[in-house]
Amino acid sequence: MNADEMKELKELIEFLKESKIGEFDLERGDLKVRIKFAQEGAPANLAGLVAAPAVVPTTLPTVHAAASAAPTPAPTATESEDASLHIVKSPIVGTFYESPSPGASAFAKVGDVVEKGQVLCIIEAMKLMNEIESDAAGEIVKRLVENGQPVEYGQPLFALKPR
Amino acid sequence: MDDTFHLPEMNQMLKDTPFAGKLHFFPSISSTNTYAMQQAEAGAPDGSVYFADQQTAGRGRGTHTWASPPGSGLYVSILLRPQISPADILWLSLATGLAVREAVRKVTVLECDLRWPNDLLFGRRKFCGILTELNAEVTRIRHAVVGIGINVHQEEFPPDLREIATSLHLESGRTWPRQDLLVALLQSLHREVSALSREAAPEILKRLEQASSWVRGKRVRVEEGEGFSGTTEGLDARGFLRVRTANGMRTVFSGGVREA
Repeated sequence: MNADEMKELKELIEFLKESKIGEFDLERGDLKVRIKFAQEGAPANLAGLVAAPAVVPTTLPTVHAAASAAPTPAPTATESEDASLHIVKSPIVGTFYESPSPGASAFAKVGDVVEKGQVLCIIEAMKLMNEIESDAAGEIVKRLVENGQPVEYGQPLFALKPR
Repeated sequence: MDDTFHLPEMNQMLKDTPFAGKLHFFPSISSTNTYAMQQAEAGAPDGSVYFADQQTAGRGRGTHTWASPPGSGLYVSILLRPQISPADILWLSLATGLAVREAVRKVTVLECDLRWPNDLLFGRRKFCGILTELNAEVTRIRHAVVGIGINVHQEEFPPDLREIATSLHLESGRTWPRQDLLVALLQSLHREVSALSREAAPEILKRLEQASSWVRGKRVRVEEGEGFSGTTEGLDARGFLRVRTANGMRTVFSGGVREA
């Protein structure tokens, strides 16, 4: 879950609290949120709720379990971490290059903390060089393609842990 | 010969294009592409043109450089902010090659060959290279800079280039004003860019096949990944070159296509 989604979620919780709604389920694409306030009208501690695994995006396979009114299974730490990662995708088809020219050092590597707008790599096709900028700030936790590998339009290139 | 550029004259000839009034000439510059990308980042408008008599660090693909001695060639970078999706921008790369070919034909009557994606050659020797640099988001192009280097007046090349490079002068024995070439080039580029869309794609593919001896039946070596050899077998619907190899059909994304 990125920063924007987290903000939306907080606003949603405020709204639900004000409206005295006891339970709320939301599904949007891969994102599933279930909010259940403590009984007798006393809203649960907000900060605790957001941080707790009770309100985390879960992947689709767990939705069915939740749909049968069973308590939402607490996802593993890995699952929630993956869903919170930001994926930088390729805007064009081409060849992935990690550096400005062969032999030069890579624009960015795993472990680097990058700013929004910082160049992460080049995708080249038909002698058209596309410098791919990060569309979020954060730490690079995964590079998803090899240097020199062909990539498709929209293919994930890097996974970032947003800051 | 006196081969200077007269900007007011050029602006007049380009008055029906977005380039009029946006021509920037430099006696010497490191790289017109580098400068144009910086200007684009700083907010320069669509249609800005940066050209130089000399480049001290002219660039090509990868580690390649473009020899740009003073008074010899046309070194120009054009800033565009096309209203097309990033997925369609590759047509610009192919269309630019066609635009230069048309401009050269118009000014000199010389018919040149196109080596996919957009090198321009006479026989085996190259006289024009094009390098496009793009700044895009997944859904939107912020700017593209088309860099074009044309060998015009060179009467000879250093030994390391002699076998692979030529110039308009060497091919025709005549001297062509760079200003005429630049104006014709910007006019034809304007026509190509205006027509750029997914609908125009089949037309671009057709013209490329007609203009190039490299698209079909050419034995080539491709410097991509570990490299491979084969025979060219046309373009796919996206404009990528298809090469039949001993291990089946391969698609060339990036270039580095050479005669085998």
